[in-house]
Amino acid sequence: MLRKLLKHELYATGKYLLPIYGITLILSLVNRLVINVDIFNGALNFIPVFMMIAYVISIIASLFVTFIFMIVRFYKNLMSDEGYLMFTLPVKPTQLVNSKLITSIIWTIVSVITICLSLLLLIATPERLNDFKNALDEIFYVFKASFGKTYALVIIEFILMIISSLFQSILLIYVSIAVGHLFNGHRVLGSFVAYFVISTAVQILITLLLLIVASISGSNIETMEAIPHMVFPFSIIVSLLLSTAYYSATSYIFSRKLNLE
Amino acid sequence: MSVILECRSLTKKYGSTTALSDLNLSLERGRIVGLLGPNGSGKTTLIKLINGLLVPSSGTIKINGFEPGVESKKIVSYLPEKTYLPDWMKVSDAINFFKDFFADFDEKKAYEMLDHLHLDSSKRLKALSKGTKEKVQLILVMSRKADLYCLDEPIGGVDPAARDYILNTIITNYNENACVIISTHLIADIENVLDEVIFIKEGYLQLHASVDEIREKEGKSIDSLFREVFRC
Repeated sequence: MLRKLLKHELYATGKYLLPIYGITLILSLVNRLVINVDIFNGALNFIPVFMMIAYVISIIASLFVTFIFMIVRFYKNLMSDEGYLMFTLPVKPTQLVNSKLITSIIWTIVSVITICLSLLLLIATPERLNDFKNALDEIFYVFKASFGKTYALVIIEFILMIISSLFQSILLIYVSIAVGHLFNGHRVLGSFVAYFVISTAVQILITLLLLIVASISGSNIETMEAIPHMVFPFSIIVSLLLSTAYYSATSYIFSRKLNLE
Repeated sequence: MSVILECRSLTKKYGSTTALSDLNLSLERGRIVGLLGPNGSGKTTLIKLINGLLVPSSGTIKINGFEPGVESKKIVSYLPEKTYLPDWMKVSDAINFFKDFFADFDEKKAYEMLDHLHLDSSKRLKALSKGTKEKVQLILVMSRKADLYCLDEPIGGVDPAARDYILNTIITNYNENACVIISTHLIADIENVLDEVIFIKEGYLQLHASVDEIREKEGKSIDSLFREVFRC
């Protein structure tokens, strides 16, 4: 059933998001042409400026719309009248959450890939790609120099940290909406309040935790390269713990406390 | 006849208000049951409990032996008061959605009924009037070969001609093995199709009897009995 939920979820969201990504890619190609063909003199000068502005807007829209859409979709599909259909399908509440979560992750990744691809379409030439490769090599070199043999581990930890914090931030929004829906009559306001209360509480907790850890370990950190190996795993573990808590709370509310309008 | 719905001391409270009190109810297959009561009497609460949209405060509810959950949702076909289909969908999208999630959905039957009402399946739901949307939802719900149909105010928002068609749809599409619960306060319109009635007043079960029994014993129609029981 999760497969079917995902199929319909991707269909319902892709209808809106894919055209935006498509427009971004097309605009980057158009801009490349406009930049390279220098025929816009005098009054026609507005064309390249206009195209560039449109392009920048489309890039921002790709990221921003993906983010907003993810929130609106969750709220509208599960907490509004559409919830009467979704929650009477023969699926578990956790499967509903899973389908939304996986879809959000997929579109976030697709939107980032779209932007990278569009930058390539806009500016890539063999020389520039070569420069880019050299720059990457240099970064790796610096990494190797400062972290020694563990530099690969640092990169893996960094990627894991980004992925786990992505899960955490999406699930924080979901749990806030689920908690907000318990406030009868003020559901949207309730969701915002829940978001700020939860995120503030978590911030305070983490700060306290860090202070405690720091006071126990004292100034044991002797070398720079040890820092990422402490910060990254710590951050990954915290994100995973928070994600699990948000996920469980959302599922609990959906299966035991559901109260659609 | 086997029991399809069984409620034992079913109670639902919202904070300090009690929407449903200690309800004991047993419904059998092959019956069309009218769930009758004034606004706010607990009809929708009961239907939401059956469909797992609410969790009981105490007591139990069993559908074909299952508590509300994945197994019960496979065999319950639910028409809420709300228009629950997403606006962006075409009618054909909604049909595909039902086909994917409900194994008992009969696509052919759905298209036949759409044709009969001259509804174009390539139309977006956004473009349809409220009454037409309700008809589409009813067609989807009645195209399932479910064991229990829960219809919450199915005739509330449509004109009398459509009302007749809808009632006809309900009678002709349900099967001998299924039970249909129709919640409404428009009693006169549906009186003739009902086998049994349930009266609910302020969260309490007032009466559960067969229509024939009431006509024999009380010598009056359900509509006049309702007016008597719920006199303001």
